Amino acid sequence: MNNLIFTIGWIVLPFCLGFGIYLIPKLHKFFALFGAIVSVGYALQLLVSKKTFVFELLDNFGVTLILDELSGYFILTNALVAVAVILYCWRTEKTAFFYAQTLILHGSVNAAFACADFISLYVALEVSGIAAFLLVAYPRTDRSIWVALRYLFVSNVAMLFYLIGAVLVYKSNHSFHFDGLVNAPPEAVALIFLGLLVKGGVFVSGLWLPLTHSEAETPVSAMLSGAVVKAGVYPLVRCALMVEALDPVVRVFGVGAALIGAFYAFFERDTKRMLALSTISQLGWILAAPQVAGLYALTHGLGKSALFLTAGGAFPSRNFQELQQRSIDPRIWMVALVASLSISGFPLLSGFAAKALTTDRLLPWQDIIMNVGAVGTAMVYAKFIFLPHRQQEQASEDRKNVAPGFSMAAIFLLVGLIAANGFYIQAYTVGKIGKAIATIVLGWLAYFAITQRVEFKLPRALEQFEHLIGVMSLMLIVLFWMVWARSGI
Amino acid sequence: MNDLSIAWVTAPFFLGFLIFLVPKLDRVLALLGALVSCSYAVWVFLQPSPIDLQLLDRFGVTLTIDALSGYFILTNALVTAAVIFYCWQTDKTAFFYAQTIIIHGSINAAFASTDFISLYVALEVSGIAAFLLIAYPRSDRSIWVGLRYLCVSNVAMLFYLVGAVLVYQATHSFNFAGLDAAPPEAIALIFMGLLVKGGIFVSGLWLPLTHSESEAPVSALLSGVVVKAGVYPLVRCALMVEEVNPIVRLFGVGTALLGVFYAVFEKDTKRMLAFHTISQLGFILAAPVVGGFYALTHGLVKSALFLISSKLPSRNFKELQKQPISTPIWIALVIASFSISGFPMLAGFGAKVLTTKNLLPWQVIGMNVAALGTAISFAKFIFLPHQRSEPRDNPSTMRGFWLAMVVLLGGLIAANSVYYQAYTLKNIIKPLVTIGLGWLAYWFIFKRVTVKFPRAIERFDHLVGVMSLMSIVLFWLVLT
Amino acid sequence: MFLEACVLATTLCGFFGIVLKKNLVMKIVAMDVMSTGVIAYYVLIASRDGLFTPILDGDQTVAYADPVPQAVILTAIVIGFSIQALMLVAVMKLSRDNPTLESHEIEKNNTP
Repeated sequence: MNNLIFTIGWIVLPFCLGFGIYLIPKLHKFFALFGAIVSVGYALQLLVSKKTFVFELLDNFGVTLILDELSGYFILTNALVAVAVILYCWRTEKTAFFYAQTLILHGSVNAAFACADFISLYVALEVSGIAAFLLVAYPRTDRSIWVALRYLFVSNVAMLFYLIGAVLVYKSNHSFHFDGLVNAPPEAVALIFLGLLVKGGVFVSGLWLPLTHSEAETPVSAMLSGAVVKAGVYPLVRCALMVEALDPVVRVFGVGAALIGAFYAFFERDTKRMLALSTISQLGWILAAPQVAGLYALTHGLGKSALFLTAGGAFPSRNFQELQQRSIDPRIWMVALVASLSISGFPLLSGFAAKALTTDRLLPWQDIIMNVGAVGTAMVYAKFIFLPHRQQEQASEDRKNVAPGFSMAAIFLLVGLIAANGFYIQAYTVGKIGKAIATIVLGWLAYFAITQRVEFKLPRALEQFEHLIGVMSLMLIVLFWMVWARSGI
Repeated sequence: MNDLSIAWVTAPFFLGFLIFLVPKLDRVLALLGALVSCSYAVWVFLQPSPIDLQLLDRFGVTLTIDALSGYFILTNALVTAAVIFYCWQTDKTAFFYAQTIIIHGSINAAFASTDFISLYVALEVSGIAAFLLIAYPRSDRSIWVGLRYLCVSNVAMLFYLVGAVLVYQATHSFNFAGLDAAPPEAIALIFMGLLVKGGIFVSGLWLPLTHSESEAPVSALLSGVVVKAGVYPLVRCALMVEEVNPIVRLFGVGTALLGVFYAVFEKDTKRMLAFHTISQLGFILAAPVVGGFYALTHGLVKSALFLISSKLPSRNFKELQKQPISTPIWIALVIASFSISGFPMLAGFGAKVLTTKNLLPWQVIGMNVAALGTAISFAKFIFLPHQRSEPRDNPSTMRGFWLAMVVLLGGLIAANSVYYQAYTLKNIIKPLVTIGLGWLAYWFIFKRVTVKFPRAIERFDHLVGVMSLMSIVLFWLVLT
Repeated sequence: MFLEACVLATTLCGFFGIVLKKNLVMKIVAMDVMSTGVIAYYVLIASRDGLFTPILDGDQTVAYADPVPQAVILTAIVIGFSIQALMLVAVMKLSRDNPTLESHEIEKNNTP
């Protein structure tokens, strides 16, 4: 009973604080920070106790919550990213509205990580969509409004498909619970997965993501890439764990997304777009091994938001070519270096542990492809690692452009990246360390071999608005075929 | 029989959406909707017993259609038809006709339903359609007036909803009959909503601005039928539930006096007509048993008057005294004014006699004073100077206007037959005396006095504030 | 079965409207059509077993409608409504600089 009250209090708190900010706008930062820190505490308690809580509110038609280690990791990611973003914005002139929306976004993503029935999830995802819309449109420029509108449009259409799937699940089970997917007809699974794939930015359905994440303001990008897309990914992971038959489907999409994301990211010449595309690839890693998705999500969230804050808030330019010609402040470079190494899976950083854990749990058929993906990741992040960096006069001028809260947020995230090693200390064996280093070196060699020579621009036609919507129908057919083929056998 | 009723309720909405699909046929389709209602109303009069419909189960929609609703439906149909004729040659778009027929349909639904939720839906739809019609010219003023109307009526409907759920709590049904067992606060809240929506007593003071600032055909629709959608349920409740009968009658007397008081001193034609609507709604409520017939005559007359007022050269009575109007228009004006004053030969006479017969003793004096006030205020129209002159509007729009007049004034004369028993010597003398007295008072007193009332109470904030006072008064009335 | 086909046809109509219509407002309207279809589908599934209110009335058993999907879809209606309002506000802002509201044009002007 105590746990129940505790959990409900934790879910409700961000919303209460968010509305509290409107009442007492002076305290906006403190309220926001407090809300995020409470989530950190709650997540740590979940991770330490390693218990699983299942709550059924009202009756069997009501809200179902499941909280275990997996959700603990996701919640921790969400909370740490939120703290970093708030620290980053601490000395900027963001209004109370911004903090309130951040907190509401945080709360709704939390709720998505806690619930285990389709309707609560729907509500959580829609609320997060609206809050994300408001945050993306915060600068009120035409471009930001368009990007936000596009995001809301795509995600809302996807959620409509999801709703149809949800009612089909209800029809066969008389309940909206996740485990009803077992008895649900294939079209229900296809529709629900379509919604979640789009919302989570996975595989080709996720091609709305590069524009949205790159054109949003830096802290918002960090929040979106670090935490919000995981609200769509988490239910996929949860379903894969609950329903045996869906596990292969999720894994296939994981592999596909990991490859497509890395491929696009490598040929991208804009820092923020590259990071956004790499998010697609990393989400693939999360899905590739659902059992251990939590740790990967945590390290990716920390690494990616650190990189977004660096690329958008501290680099003098967004263009790689320009960055090659100027040199960056070594301290800023260090931040990018550590975060990039972590995502590439370099030992000493938690990215290594997460990657090792995921690789352990891959099925045989995934093994080779994901190794290729790992090399691809190393290639992509070599772009950041080999940026020129030297102390120069011009650098001091650049430093003025660095956002005031940047160092605080960066230190916080990097410390988190190192500390998260503790979750899987067993990864440090000679074989695994050797493999990781070999992958990275291979990636760097490939980087030098390819980038220095090839000039290649991928067409962006697929990212057009109509195509994003159109792709949904194709994905629906593919999904239906996949699920139907599985259940048919 | 049931299918016919359901088809009739849905037909206007269907036609309305059809207008959006086939905009060329806008006028024809709208008129068709009005004619369907008209023939349905006639069919209802021919039925020996009321039509009772219970859709789905006892929690579902209930409809009761009897002679009372027949009168209201007929009013609605005739006024709509007249308005469509009036607009026939103007360049109103398909949107206008579609909204007209949708408002017609929603009012029909309000006249048919006998449960609080169906009524709520019908009233809200009519409110939205009325808003769109008021805001049709897209000028700042029209949008403000429309917004004000929508805001006031929506706040009132929120109170109403609270009342409706209290009724449900007490009786597990939303039927009107449940008011019997409902707690006093439920009745107070529901009546609050209906009084505001129907424009009765002080809660109706949003009405003068809204009805006077709208375009003439929209005013005609609003004054002729839309307010009756709020009045009809009051009448119906008074008939169904014994206890609320005195309350309804009391409000009838109050609003009849209040409206006529304002109307007598008003210097603007359309505002005078709007205030007078408040007063006439009182006559409908004063004798719920025969409210239907009064509603019919008032609807016909008031919409005729609003349409005529748009053809007058000015809205100001002072200016009208100096500018003679063309004689044909003056004749139409006089017929309508005579009818509303209760002059024999016109249906207003029959309605007034019928209402007077059904008054309770304590109401008689009040209502006679109100009748006198009506005569005084319409003397302003009757004694306008007139001369034979060419009308300024182009002939084609005038044709539409006269067609509308034929429908409305012809209806007034034809409606005499409903209650021809009224023509006894005693009954005829009394209204003549009243009218004579009224004219005398007009000539000797009111033509000279200029009193200007402050319009403070018509301000938006006060309109909303008055609601709280009214709910207290209502609660107290129901409790005692 | 026939009703189900109608409902799904509505949903698809809305979906193709989103893809094929050029104007942003029309796209939003099409989205509303699509969500109307979805809502109708919930109501349809709720009424599969019957139409009556599921409240006991004496001993008689009636073919009653399932209240859960209906209750649930209310949330979706409200959410859909608010999202639509939000989108229309955004469109209003965009229309100042892009009076035609063609999504291609807006996209061209606002993609880096």
